[in-house]
Amino acid sequence: MSNHPTVQRVVVTGIGLLTPLGLTRATSFDRLLKGDSAIRPAAPGITHWLPHALAADVDPAFAQALDRNEQGLDRATQFALLATREAMADARAADWDIQPERVGVFAGIGLGGATTGEALYTRLHEQLQAGRNPTVMHPLSVPRLMPNAATAAISMAYQFRGPTHTYSVACSSSAMALGEAYRSIRHGYTDAIVVVGAEAMNVPGVFMAWNALRVMAKPYPDNLAASCRPFDQDRSGFVLGEGAAALVLETAESALRRGATIYGEICGYGSSSDAKHLTLPSSEGQYRAIRMALDESGIAPAGIHYLNAHGTATEAGDVVESETIRQVFGDHADHLPVSSTKSQHGHLIGAAGATEFAISLLAMQSGSIPPTAFLDKPDPRCTLDYVPREARHGQALQAVMSNSFAFGGSNVSLIARRYA
Amino acid sequence: MLRQIIKDFVIQQFNVDPAVFDQPGLKVADLGLDSLGVVEMLFEVEDLYGFQVDDPARYSSMTFDEMVADMETTIRAANNGQIPAPASLQGKA
Repeated sequence: MSNHPTVQRVVVTGIGLLTPLGLTRATSFDRLLKGDSAIRPAAPGITHWLPHALAADVDPAFAQALDRNEQGLDRATQFALLATREAMADARAADWDIQPERVGVFAGIGLGGATTGEALYTRLHEQLQAGRNPTVMHPLSVPRLMPNAATAAISMAYQFRGPTHTYSVACSSSAMALGEAYRSIRHGYTDAIVVVGAEAMNVPGVFMAWNALRVMAKPYPDNLAASCRPFDQDRSGFVLGEGAAALVLETAESALRRGATIYGEICGYGSSSDAKHLTLPSSEGQYRAIRMALDESGIAPAGIHYLNAHGTATEAGDVVESETIRQVFGDHADHLPVSSTKSQHGHLIGAAGATEFAISLLAMQSGSIPPTAFLDKPDPRCTLDYVPREARHGQALQAVMSNSFAFGGSNVSLIARRYA
Repeated sequence: MLRQIIKDFVIQQFNVDPAVFDQPGLKVADLGLDSLGVVEMLFEVEDLYGFQVDDPARYSSMTFDEMVADMETTIRAANNGQIPAPASLQGKA
């Protein structure tokens, strides 16, 4: 274990974003600040059966950046690799003096190889229906499908030889991967970790399964792109997105040694379980996760200057989350900007936590808070400052929080502050 | 028939007291199911008849019999006014 006698400070030095809003960090964040939405009709294979289905899909142009080997990987792994490439370049990690054995890869994955799995069963049934031998399968089906395909691809591509962990905790997956990576570095098990959240599951079988849960947004009559409306009276659910976010975490020591740009210091991580209901949120569980993160950070509630909410635009979710925030933040709740960027990029499930934490860091760095894009008529039960419709610029943000609450009742809260 | 299918499912899946179904004007809300439970209950019928109910949330404010009648109407509307033999039951003894 560690030779370090004291805990390390953990900073973020690189961010890669490949989202429905754009194929890079800059385009994704710029469009977010403009209030653009990536929500469109779902793919034809889905809308053929569900004419009103909506999705936030990644621009197909992403595939141009893949080499021949990468083209054979699962879509989620492709997203993960490309986001990692941007994050590594951003961190100028080529200049690292860290031993590869001390660098890990932690991933947050919801379903992982959904595209490969769907193709596998589609092929099986097509072969059976055509009276052909169904045993002829691609030999790489399993390693493409496995949830740790992304960590495997990244560790091999960059020769990282430290631990590779995959966290699969539904919507909290990559938030938990970030929190656990922070702990690993903080306590000296590793010196740097690439954390990636990735998801790609907008394929017909998986999409129809989501549809059966009745949690998906209906098209908003006047403006289809405005169909995901967190905290709004007219909200009707979330829109499935896809994509990846990668963050390079390392010790403040190594970041300072090579003069890297520091987005912020991760200083609080809370994780809790509701032990209550498979899909409904619980304020009590959320409260404990947020409180745990605040306690670890040593930051008073009033010291948090922006909160990226889970904000899925479901009937139960938005109300419970708003109540929890009010309970934790007390009087400061009225002065705390809270936004749900899912209104624009959709719900990235396994990639959501890392994407939204990265957005929170970019907000802190730029001083610009992205809005809850289509919030026209707030639900009377949702009484916070949700940064409605328009971004806020010129904000001095000292610390930011991002929350993720998952099916299965797993809650994660993360805090970052300016490095000083 | 529909009433019996749903009733049996709710009793078995959610341990609802069978005597509840003797109450006149029994409400869907009185069954004590949460939103996911309602969706699970509807699936029992959806799977048999190969259709999906549009907006399950509206059932929460109905009586149990109103819900059954509403589902019957939906099935008839899609089958020229008939209630066909359930697809999933065909071929079974």
